[in-house]
Amino acid sequence: MGVLRAEPVRVREWTARSVGAAWRAFDWQMTIFAVLLVGIGLAMAYSNSVAAGTPILGLRSTFTRGLIWAAVGSVVYVGAVAFDYRWLKTFAWPLYLVNLGLLVASMLIGNGQGGSARWVSILGFQFQFSELAKILMIVVLANYLASRQHALDSLSTILGAGALVVPAIALVMLQPDLGTSLVLGAILAGMLFMSGASLRWLAILSGLIVGAIPFLWANILHDYQKQRLLSFLNPSAADPQGAGYQLAQSQIAVGSGGLFGKGLTNGTQNQLDFLPVQTTDFVFALVAEELGFLGAVLVFSLFIALIWRILLSAWRSRDPFGLCVAAGLASMLVFQLIVNVGMVIGVMPITGIPLPFITHGGASLVSIALGLGILQSINIRQARAEW
Amino acid sequence: MVAPLVVDRQPVRERQLVRFLLFGVVALLGVSGLLTRLVYLQLASSQAYQAKAEQNRTVKQAIPSSRGLVYDRTGRLLVANEPSYSVKIRPADLPFSQRDQVVARLAALLAIDPADINTMIDSNPGSRFDPVRIATDVPVATANFIAEEHLALPGVEIVVEPKRNYLFGPLLAQVLGYTGAIDADTLKQLQGQGYLPDDLIGRAGVESTYESTLRGVYGLETVERDATGRRLQVLTTDRAAQAGDSLKLTIDTKEQLLAQKAVQWAMQKSGLKRGVMIVMNPQTGEILAMVSLPTYDDNKFAQGISRKDFQALIANRDHPLLNHGINEQFPPGSTYKLVTGVGALTDRKLGPDELVQTRAYLQLGPDKFWDWNRAGFGLLDIKGGFARSSDTFFYQVAARLGIDRLAYWARQFGFGAPTGIDLPGEAPGIVPDERWKQDTFGQAIFPGETFQAGIGQGYDTATALQVLDAYAALANGGRLYRPQVVREILDPEGNVVRAFRPQLIRKIPASAATFEIMRLAAREVVTSGHTYNLRDLPIVVAGKTGTAEFGVRDSKGRLPFHNWFVAFVPKRGDVSKPDSELAVLGFNYDANTVGNSATEMVKYYLQLHFNLKVDLRLDFLMARGNFYGGN
Repeated sequence: MGVLRAEPVRVREWTARSVGAAWRAFDWQMTIFAVLLVGIGLAMAYSNSVAAGTPILGLRSTFTRGLIWAAVGSVVYVGAVAFDYRWLKTFAWPLYLVNLGLLVASMLIGNGQGGSARWVSILGFQFQFSELAKILMIVVLANYLASRQHALDSLSTILGAGALVVPAIALVMLQPDLGTSLVLGAILAGMLFMSGASLRWLAILSGLIVGAIPFLWANILHDYQKQRLLSFLNPSAADPQGAGYQLAQSQIAVGSGGLFGKGLTNGTQNQLDFLPVQTTDFVFALVAEELGFLGAVLVFSLFIALIWRILLSAWRSRDPFGLCVAAGLASMLVFQLIVNVGMVIGVMPITGIPLPFITHGGASLVSIALGLGILQSINIRQARAEW
Repeated sequence: MVAPLVVDRQPVRERQLVRFLLFGVVALLGVSGLLTRLVYLQLASSQAYQAKAEQNRTVKQAIPSSRGLVYDRTGRLLVANEPSYSVKIRPADLPFSQRDQVVARLAALLAIDPADINTMIDSNPGSRFDPVRIATDVPVATANFIAEEHLALPGVEIVVEPKRNYLFGPLLAQVLGYTGAIDADTLKQLQGQGYLPDDLIGRAGVESTYESTLRGVYGLETVERDATGRRLQVLTTDRAAQAGDSLKLTIDTKEQLLAQKAVQWAMQKSGLKRGVMIVMNPQTGEILAMVSLPTYDDNKFAQGISRKDFQALIANRDHPLLNHGINEQFPPGSTYKLVTGVGALTDRKLGPDELVQTRAYLQLGPDKFWDWNRAGFGLLDIKGGFARSSDTFFYQVAARLGIDRLAYWARQFGFGAPTGIDLPGEAPGIVPDERWKQDTFGQAIFPGETFQAGIGQGYDTATALQVLDAYAALANGGRLYRPQVVREILDPEGNVVRAFRPQLIRKIPASAATFEIMRLAAREVVTSGHTYNLRDLPIVVAGKTGTAEFGVRDSKGRLPFHNWFVAFVPKRGDVSKPDSELAVLGFNYDANTVGNSATEMVKYYLQLHFNLKVDLRLDFLMARGNFYGGN
């Protein structure tokens, strides 16, 4: 009777407590930082739409598309949070095959500028599967590393993880998309390092890879990639078609922004189209021109705060899978932030890596939303487990 | 359910703390690196980059000044400015990959050859950022088409420019000239004076000689542009443009029309290819009319002449672009006897009443130097010799003077050097003397050459204007004036900036009496009947004919010849007074008419000028014939 009476109470209590715990464990800060970064991206899209002179809320405006993608990203985020991440472990291998399948599909049906096959058109929206592949790769790798907790010190774990990533890197290189393959490499390195893999072997293998760079340079890279990689050493505004022109113009945009910036929609480099690819790879130049040094510092701060929250999730995670997912996301964000901004301000080669959240582009945003959603799902479900 | 997650928590954490810290440090180091660079770019060098951004988006653009106008001496407008559309290309804004496409499209719109456009772009004298003129004065519809297609035509711009409208076209083209695109060499010299690579510059006539007066001073403005080079707005006017001054010519359009009518009549009547008439006021050196036929329409140049039209002008063997009155030199023939006569009288090689025996010919070694009538005229004094234009008379007088004294007197009369008229490209003429012969041929002058020089043949050449100016000096008593076509310079408000002032080249060192003798002699040319019925005109005319051989002998040993007639009209009908205000020169190239066509031409002009009721033109003299020997 007591049991009978107690049951619903207990169930209700359990539900209330677990929902409450989940609520408490849900990382609101992480969400807010991500939303603020997306907000900055939308502000840049708005400014760009003003420059283009098309109606701001018209269907084809950058701003409208940014809004649509932000909405899709939100849905994906909420869905991923609600989804029990443990199913991912069950389906890790199918996910891996889906991952490679997507990359092969991009090769077959994709299209892009300059003979590359990065973009797949879905309902009139361009989607870059390689962005999604990064997140799926993080999940697959996390599953693998979590299952190898007993043998983290061994070379075989490192080689096994490498064997998972190399096909993806190779497929992305073939597109060809040098930037994404570098990001995949960074994810692999970051996850191995954070998961506790053997430092000795990591150091040796890193040495081997560095040693192989001259070979890769000579045999793998396309001429235009080499040219872009080198152009940052000697940017020149003389040839409007060249990579050096983009770089020189983006540095002018950044430098002329000054401390406070020229104000949203007031950047002459942006508004008068001197800045190439303002909303994609070079979006940071637009931030720096219109919002100034302070805007740039704001972006950095939000990224640092977000990465801090991700690392915190990793730290708190009792599940090595969660640690690895967080480590993968953090590595990806740090690498893309530094390489993208470094490229815009002329200290890194041009590699075509987007600035997460801010670069206009659905695939990047939706994929990160998926990754963060998975991380939140881990957060709140571990909290319940702890209770 | 949660079991698989529960692993040994403690060891995992302890193993990873260092790695977490390391990861954080690497991330922060990376971000610090970026921040350092940002501090350099945005804080330390911000001004330099701001300047670069400014430079990016702004271009300095010249504001053309409005070019001065041109009026005739009565205030009639001859040259006006009208708005027109020009097409230009800024090569820096034309991506190389799209160039062929853009050029082809533009060529189709403008209906010109794409090769021409490419040539224009490639021969652009300025930098890649300077607009290149592709077409001038395109129709409004075409301009609109191109403006609408600006997205497909990067680097192409439509510019509204004032265009010169030469209201009388061919009538005054030789005097007014035209404006045209500046060429690379000229630009190099004039860039310091604010000339632009796509600028227009006076290329002929007073448009050229008074370029700096007409042009004014260009202003400068700062214009905002976008990355494709499209001009968006004027940001600041750095310097306002200053309009050019206007010209008031000495030319009287009415006289010009009459002179042109006379020349056209003569050319048509005798089938001539080139004709010249210049009318001058001997008291001031003012040119009242200056006709050189064939002529051209300077409006074609103002509209941007097509290559075909330009080739046609260049290929024309009678050189319509040349002002034959000043740009070419011809043997002056018997008109030159003025020089020989005045020189001999002043040097006292010939007395004023001295009689000289004239003959059919003079024998010099094996050569015979014939008089034109092949008979001689018996004993003649200077007036008779001049009136009948006796060659043997002047052979002897020239021999008495000697070649160097003859040359001295020729130079005193303005031969052998440009008169200095304010028109471009004046030919100097040739006055042979011992030194010239030595310098040119490395030989001494032969006595026969002195004979020839005395009658304006042989090496002697002169421009029509030189001949007229010499006779103007005769008519005014010995003052050689610099001929002028511009009377006054007016500022844009119409105030006189430079008033007219006659410019004396020199007072010819011969006595008033000598000039009077020669004026009487020139009158006798008319009264003796040498010029047929010219003496029947109800006005007093004095003058001198000339028949100047040139070129190659025909099968009968005859040379083609030019006809000259230079006349002046004493103001009150008394030729002894140096008061003439009207001197007229007629010149017909390669005339070969039965009589002197130039005399008939000048006669016709005088009839028109004085509005005479008689018409004494003698058509039979104008017939093309093998007349040879009449002087």
